[in-house]
Order: sequence, then structure tokens, then C-alpha cells
Amino acid sequence: MEASSDALAEESTSNTRSPRSRWVLTQGAFDTLLACLDDNRDDAGRKYVEIRKNLIRFFEWRGCPFPEDHADETINRVARRASEGEEIRNPAGYVLGVGRLVLLEVYKEREKEHRALSELSHTTAARSYDFEEVEPRAECLKHCLEGQTADNRELILQYYHGEAAAKIENRKKLSERFKTPINTLRMRALRLRERLQVCVGDCLKTL
Amino acid sequence: MSEPFDEGFITRYLLGDLPEQEQIEIEDRAFTDARVMQDVLAVEADLIDEYVQGRLKDRERRQFETRFLASAERRQKVEFARALAQVARESVLTETIRRPSAAIAPATLWTALLATFRSTGPAFRLSLAAASLVLVVGLTWLTVHTLRVRSELAQAQSEQQDLEGRLADERARSQKLADQLQGEQQQRERDQELIRELERPREEPANDRSQSAILSFALLPGVSRSGGSATTLTIPQSTRLVRFQIGIQPGDDYKSFRVNVLSSVGRQIWAQDNLSARSGRGGPLVLLSVPARLLSAGEYELALKGVTDDGRTEDVGYYYFKVRKN
Repeated sequence: MEASSDALAEESTSNTRSPRSRWVLTQGAFDTLLACLDDNRDDAGRKYVEIRKNLIRFFEWRGCPFPEDHADETINRVARRASEGEEIRNPAGYVLGVGRLVLLEVYKEREKEHRALSELSHTTAARSYDFEEVEPRAECLKHCLEGQTADNRELILQYYHGEAAAKIENRKKLSERFKTPINTLRMRALRLRERLQVCVGDCLKTL
Repeated sequence: MSEPFDEGFITRYLLGDLPEQEQIEIEDRAFTDARVMQDVLAVEADLIDEYVQGRLKDRERRQFETRFLASAERRQKVEFARALAQVARESVLTETIRRPSAAIAPATLWTALLATFRSTGPAFRLSLAAASLVLVVGLTWLTVHTLRVRSELAQAQSEQQDLEGRLADERARSQKLADQLQGEQQQRERDQELIRELERPREEPANDRSQSAILSFALLPGVSRSGGSATTLTIPQSTRLVRFQIGIQPGDDYKSFRVNVLSSVGRQIWAQDNLSARSGRGGPLVLLSVPARLLSAGEYELALKGVTDDGRTEDVGYYYFKVRKN
């Protein structure tokens, strides 16, 4: 069953950070949600983590300012529906449907803000972002790379280096060098990149 | 299984450049197909890198900034990409210096370096150029200096080897001279001993002068001790000197000869170097004079050795004889 836009929209408030419902997630509702995801609780937990991660990505892709908050709001709404007895046959599709409703609310809120501050567009605000000093992060990255194997270091530094044509050529060579198909290599590089980003984030907290 | 999305299509989605229905199509697929999700994430990573390296067109850059700089989570991804680009650049530069013919093709390397310049600010470019100049000058100086030091080191080693060779030659020559001196001293002592033995008869009573003071004795090669046929030498009391005529083979052409006379218990009785071969009636022979008083009754072994031109010593023969005293 797909989520109803009207039913869910009326639960939100006009919070500028995220459309929030007054309803609060309870342990019982969360357990019901997990039961909808899988009969096995461990597998259900893994699916929950994966769905939440995908929701955050979805809100990022759509250019939302607080992807994690929007993802949690979406999950709360789904959990509420589940606890109220709604049958959820396709959890991933259902969650994404609810997420789109939350997204609409985010867009509406943003429109209101823009109208209120008509002279300051969102684009301008985004462009005004000042990048952080790159050195500490680069040092942390070097530190994190030291914890990787030589092959992984070579992979990450070569895979993401170069201009378009050179990058393609680099990746072909890496594919031959590691005797790995391009698609597999791409997934390996991506996972490594994500791990390194987490490692760098942790490292920056210690500085 | 559905066909994967084209990378350009995904890029347009990520930049917010697709109609709503096509956006939904990608999202639906990404939520139900892990492979599509990975494709979108991979394209997203590349797109962030393109932005960081300044390769997006103006319109794309504006779209990117609207979408990607909107949330803290995504800004972290962009910040990470900046760090990754910097570390990758440093890595390539390091590899370039360390391995000019590294795995990356020259054209790729060149384009990578060009891209590095393009994606940096004027101040950084100027700094990089200055640093490169300093590096090139430094490396050139280092190379020249290293070559010069190596050349000097090789020359010094050669001179040292030459000196060591000359020193070894001098030592050998000095040792040879010392050996010769010692040999000559021993020879002189023996000569003086022999002279004293020869002079002694003059002091003897006249009635003893009738007997010869020198006893000549021929020793032939190949006479073995075990053979029981050892020559017996009877030495009168009046004999002062025993002259051995040691027979050798015609082919025994040595620079000199050395003799050791040993008693039956192996005690050295007499030794003499620098003896010469001479012709005798029965063939070539070596003459050896030994004071008679040193030869008491008993069995003896005489070892004759030849000294070659290069200083080596070779066995020529062993001679055995018995001494009786009258």
C-alpha cells in the first residue's frame, strides 16, 4: 500500500528544519516496523539500517538541507502507520513513497522561506559556502590511507585521479592490473572511498 | 533484469536536470536494485570530483552547488573529495619524481599534471612552479654532485687499491730480502763453522795430519731406509768435515737446493739453503759439507728440495745413510 499524501501531510508542523509530526516513535512501534521488514530480527535490523541510509541518499539527491532529519521523520511516519495496523507489503517502496511526501513538505517550507526572504535565493546561499581548510582533512586522509593495503592505496588514488579521458584510461589499466572487471572495480573503489570518508571524519574529531 | 541507466542520465538526475517522472524512475530502481544504487553513488562520486577539480561547466557548477552544497552531509563529501584530489595529486607528483616511467602512460601523466594546474589558483600555480624550479635545480645539482662524488670515490678506491698493491709488493720484497739475509747469515755461519773445522787440523799433532780431515761421501737417490740397503759411512775420529756428493737426476733444474739432515728420531742435525747443482763424473750432483762431529753413530735421513724460479719448493729426493765412528 502506498502512503497517502493527505493523511501524512496533516501530521506535519511548520518547522523550518524538518517537517515534524507530533507523534513520537515508541519501542512498540519500532518493533512493529522491524517485524514488517523481516521475520528475523537481525535481518530486519540490517534492512532498517539500509533503508535509512538509502532515505538519506534520496534526500541528498533532491538537494534537501537536512537529509538525516528528513529520513528519520519518514521512518517515524512509516512506523506509526505500521503500529496502527497498516499492512506494508513492499517496505522499500512504501518508505520511499512516504519519503516523497516528506520531500514535498520540505519543498513547500523552503518556498515559504524564500518568499519571506525574497532577496536571498537558496542558490546564492549554497554558493556562499566557504570550504574548510583542506590540509587537516588531507593529513587525516594520508593517515587513513596508511591503514590500507598497498593495493587499496593504489586503487583509490589512481581510480579517482585524472580528467575524463585519462580517468577512463586509468581505470582500464587498474582493471587489467587487478584483473578485476570495471564494474567490480568501481564498487570496490566506491566502498573504499566511503570507508575512508568515515575514517577521515573520525580522525578530524581527534584533532 | 532492467538495463542499467546511462551515466549521463544519472548525472542529469543528480544535477536536478530531469523531469519529475524520470527522477522517480531512477529513485524507484535505486531503492529496489542495489546495483542501480551503486551506479548512482559511483556517478555521484565522479561528479563531486569533477566539481572539485573545476571541470564542470558554469551551468552544471551552479546546479551542483544548489544541490550538493545544501546539506552538511553532502558538503562533507565535497570536502573529502578535495582532500582526496590533493593527496592523489601529491601522490602522482611523488611518483613522477620517483619513477619517471611509472605505470601511468606519459600522455595520461601529462594530462593529469595539466589538470592539476588548471584546478588550482594562481598563487598555488606560482608556488608550484617555483617549487618545481627549485626541485629541478636541486635535482640537477644533486645528480651532478652525486656523479662527481662517485667519480672521486672510484678514483680514491682505485688509488687505494694501487697503494695497497704497491705496499704488498714492498712487503713481499722486504720479506724476500729478510729471507735472503737470514739465509746468507746462516750460510756465513755454516761457512765459518766449516772453516773452523778445516783450520782445526793445522793445530793437530803432526802424526795425525796423515789422515784426511775431509771425508767425501756419495749419496745416490732412491736408496730407501726400509730397503735395508742404506749406505754406511764410517767416519774416522780425525775427520773434521764430511762432504756429501748428492746425486740428482739430469732433469732436476732448480734455481737452488735446500738440504735437511735429520736423525732417526727426526731431530734436525744440519740444514742449508742456496746450494747449487754441479756436474760430476756420474752425473749432476749437489755438494754438501757437514761438520763430522755433528754426525754421531746412527741412522740419518737427508731431504733434498729444489727451489723453483718463482720461489716454490719441491721435493727432489730422500737419501738415507748410517754413520759409524772409528
